[in-house]
Amino acid sequence: MSLERPDTTDDAAIERTPDELEALLGDLVVKRDDHLNAPGFVIRPDTVQETLSILKEQAGYDHLSVVSAQEYENRYESIYHLKKFDDPTQEVSVVVPADKDDPVSESAEPVFRTADWHEREAYDLIGVEYDDHPDLRRILLPETWQGHPLSMDYDKDRPQIATLPEHANPLQEHHKDDESDTMFLNIGPHHPATHGVLHLKTTLDGEQVVDVEPDIGYLHRSEEQMAQSGTYRHQIMPYPDRWDYISAGLLNEWAYARAAEDLADIEVPEYAQVIRTMGAEMCRIAAHMLALATFALDVNGDFTATFMYAINDRERVQDLLEDLTGQRLMFNYFRLGGVVWDLPEPREEFFSKTRDFLDQLPESVEEYHNLVTSNEIFQMRTIDTGILPPEVAKDYGATGPVARGSGVDYDLRRDDPYGYYDELDWDVVTEDGCDNFSRLLVRMREVEESAKIIEQCVDLLEDWPEEERNIQANVPRTLRPDDDAEIYRAVEGAKGELGIYIRSDGTDKPARFKIRSPCFSNLQTLPEMANGEYIPDVIAALGSLDIVLGEVDR
Amino acid sequence: MGTAPAQLFPEFLVETFGLPGVLGEVVAALIAAAVVGNIVLAFTGVAGPWAKRKITAAFTDRIAVNRVGPFGLLIIPASAVQLLAKELIVPEGVDRPAWDIAPVILPASALLGFSVIPMGRLGPINFHLADPEVGFALVFAFASIASVSLVMAGYASNNKYSLLGGLRAVAQNLAYEIPLIVTAMSVVLFAGTLQMSGIVSAQTTTLVTIAGFDIPAWYAFVNPFAFVLFLTANMAEIGRNPFDIPEAPTEIVAGYQTEYSSAYFVLFYLGEFVHIFLGGAILAVTFLGGASGPGPESIGFIWFVVKIWGFFLFTQWARSALPRVRIDQLIEIGWKGMLVLSFANLVLTAVIVGVIA
Amino acid sequence: MKSMATTMKHALDGSTFTVEYPEDAPEVSPRFRGVHKFSQERCIWCRQCENVCPNDTIQIVQDDQRNGEQYNLHIGQCIYCRLCEEVCPVDAILLTQNFEFTADTKDDFVFNKEQLKNVPWYKGIDPLESRNPDRGAWIGEGDGEVDYQ
Ligand code: SF4
Ligand code: SF4
Repeated sequence: MSLERPDTTDDAAIERTPDELEALLGDLVVKRDDHLNAPGFVIRPDTVQETLSILKEQAGYDHLSVVSAQEYENRYESIYHLKKFDDPTQEVSVVVPADKDDPVSESAEPVFRTADWHEREAYDLIGVEYDDHPDLRRILLPETWQGHPLSMDYDKDRPQIATLPEHANPLQEHHKDDESDTMFLNIGPHHPATHGVLHLKTTLDGEQVVDVEPDIGYLHRSEEQMAQSGTYRHQIMPYPDRWDYISAGLLNEWAYARAAEDLADIEVPEYAQVIRTMGAEMCRIAAHMLALATFALDVNGDFTATFMYAINDRERVQDLLEDLTGQRLMFNYFRLGGVVWDLPEPREEFFSKTRDFLDQLPESVEEYHNLVTSNEIFQMRTIDTGILPPEVAKDYGATGPVARGSGVDYDLRRDDPYGYYDELDWDVVTEDGCDNFSRLLVRMREVEESAKIIEQCVDLLEDWPEEERNIQANVPRTLRPDDDAEIYRAVEGAKGELGIYIRSDGTDKPARFKIRSPCFSNLQTLPEMANGEYIPDVIAALGSLDIVLGEVDR
Repeated sequence: MGTAPAQLFPEFLVETFGLPGVLGEVVAALIAAAVVGNIVLAFTGVAGPWAKRKITAAFTDRIAVNRVGPFGLLIIPASAVQLLAKELIVPEGVDRPAWDIAPVILPASALLGFSVIPMGRLGPINFHLADPEVGFALVFAFASIASVSLVMAGYASNNKYSLLGGLRAVAQNLAYEIPLIVTAMSVVLFAGTLQMSGIVSAQTTTLVTIAGFDIPAWYAFVNPFAFVLFLTANMAEIGRNPFDIPEAPTEIVAGYQTEYSSAYFVLFYLGEFVHIFLGGAILAVTFLGGASGPGPESIGFIWFVVKIWGFFLFTQWARSALPRVRIDQLIEIGWKGMLVLSFANLVLTAVIVGVIA
Repeated sequence: MKSMATTMKHALDGSTFTVEYPEDAPEVSPRFRGVHKFSQERCIWCRQCENVCPNDTIQIVQDDQRNGEQYNLHIGQCIYCRLCEEVCPVDAILLTQNFEFTADTKDDFVFNKEQLKNVPWYKGIDPLESRNPDRGAWIGEGDGEVDYQ
């Protein structure tokens, strides 16, 4: 894979109509299968690389958001959701059916590095096999797992018994050879700096990292399957809170709300959108505060005061969120078509609390800059470590602060507007350092932008005429979207592009519910950042990715 | 020096209780050592479970221990019982007896260091166990035995994290021991002696008098540059932030002590705290005038305690605010920066001392 | 090195952010969702709460005349999403603000209707009032299709 940007002639930037794209792909297209969000082209399973490289290099679709796979009565299907980093509203889906009895399809990994993990996941959960894939193994489930849990004939009552010796033993026998002088080190699954249960298989040469391979899946809770067995109207909404469970709840709920509302064609009242926007940005502040806190923990050591100060500020936001939603982390506040409640009474009190928080925020941010970013030792530790060049970031589908810290100007709140964001005045923050320091700086500056957004929302809400405070559209009690409608919709979560793919089958529950987790894609870049660096830099790089394993593993 | 060296603690005991002969001296020495050792251990006892928690809490806007006893002070016995009552887990494949000796060496070496530290007077007693001619060299020798313990623990633990921690400890000690001692040499040049009591008494003269206040000729005031250098090297020597890289819990999971539990863990912890206090004591003796301070000489011990606790506070303060440097950066600072600076300091001091003399 | 000054400032101002729980319990928002309270007098045994619950936390047993016999709710399994309160047409199941509960085993968290009834109100807050002040006003609204939120 070359890292240079492919020849982006000007026609990469132009927006093409679906028909023009079809013409561009020519014979590769077997038929059309349009989704609600994008044109869909069905291709043969052995032309995946060809199709994707044409779309990537000639039409400028340089962002493979997600690969969602599923099984139908008569076939398997992998869908490659493509977008452009420059304009994510231009989307296209490449649909690759595979044979029911022998589901083999060509891997997209040579075109998009990010397909590596996504295809492994599809293999793991659905059972599609990808030809040419460099390393097709299970990714979320243990390697001894029998069957593919999201395939149709999966017997979930069958016990999964694997005796201990059948597992690959991470504690290998003592192994020594005279040739190499590297050392293999397991970082995690239980390690203070893995932010959850993550296992890094690390090969060291002295203190330097030769290779690191993240091993995920320890926190896999079948979130997709759980959503598939819940009703659209009520039962799915409590779960998004539990993906990125660290304060980003409302942002996650919005991802589901956006996808489901577009699927069922629900119009959200403006007033509710403002409340959503405000709540979501509060969550972003809380999430970024935690990212800052834990990053300080990773770099400073475990007695750092920064951690506590940042947690204090996060606590203040959480108090506001508690007043608003009734819960501190698992909000379940959004409903399809709006939010569940209006602002708490007395409204003035809530507004003044919020303003108090916003007023003291600049002071806190100043303090963090004193504590962290302007500290010489801190700069020494983080600047120019964990380098992630922008092209690599794009190739891996990195989004959110990780991509913006590498200068990739991509923020769905602005580029694919939803909610009330396009009416408000704020900026997308990017930094060009591509290092650990930049990623932290992006988050710290985003906190200030979020504060700006909240402030404007509060102004708007204060002046909102009482009779127009409509918090919910009228949504039927049971929601049955049209049969076989498919949609992929994403929002800017705390960690990046959080997308949901839903296929409906005419019932009140989704037939396929696929979560595109930003952390999952972001974590994939770790080896790129870490190889050749020292152990402390790997830890810092991991901290700067700000992953939440609940979202990586789902 | 002029004044006769002050009576040492064991001599005092011999005289007061009229202990006869060699046996008497041995008994007196043992008693004196036990008293001093207990004082130091009492400090660590207070420091570890209580003061450290309180100080860290103050820096982070928290309350910390306040339930058990007044100001939570009874947490000290509570923690002790809790720690000692835990199961001692001996991992498979550890290299015994090295694994068992390591946790003893660390506190022992640090305690040994206190044998030559003049801790000042409290009433008639001069808390100073021995005052050999080469006391100054001795104390550094004792202090650096600690790294042997760390390497031993790291190697014997049969754990890769511990091994990394042990190796880091060696690298760090090599990089910092030399600047530390070279900087200390500049003090020796000033004082003209390696005897601890001599170094202290050389700092009792008045440097300047400002507005009626006598600023004593503590070497920290005489040569602030050397003081800062020494302070930094000392922090690295005792392995505290920003130089706690042999432990680095978020990177290598407490390094050399990963595999230790229960009593062994307590010994390590104890050793670390004694080491901090020894670092503080060395600093006080070399740069802060030992036990001198305002008031009569007979409360010197109190000043000394204040100074070493001040140093302890400083380590905790740095811990709350400073990031940890990376091992390669540390070595670079040590070899390329500190070493050069300390030699420059030494040469300069030598020239100045030569010119004055 | 401004960081040293910053932490020292915090150390010296003497204020603390943490509190001495339980003597000094932090305020709980009026909307906070805690342990359920159930009222058998109100319940019409329509089983909507049981149906909506996303993780089968509520178990209702009825006799053959569809009269309610048991109402069990596993407060240790519950995810406190409040959907049961939301769908209940007669406000028979409510979430109080109580957030402190302990038990020796997880099974002790299965509350039957008596236990649920005895869950105390928290500081006299009426949760429904604070969550949905105008609930009563718009419950009867809309033509035909009534949507309980
Ligand atoms: S709060 Fe949610 S999880 Fe708990 S019982 Fe009610 S519906 Fe079920
Ligand atoms: S929804 Fe309300 S009325 Fe119906 S069964 Fe549940 S508690 Fe009773």
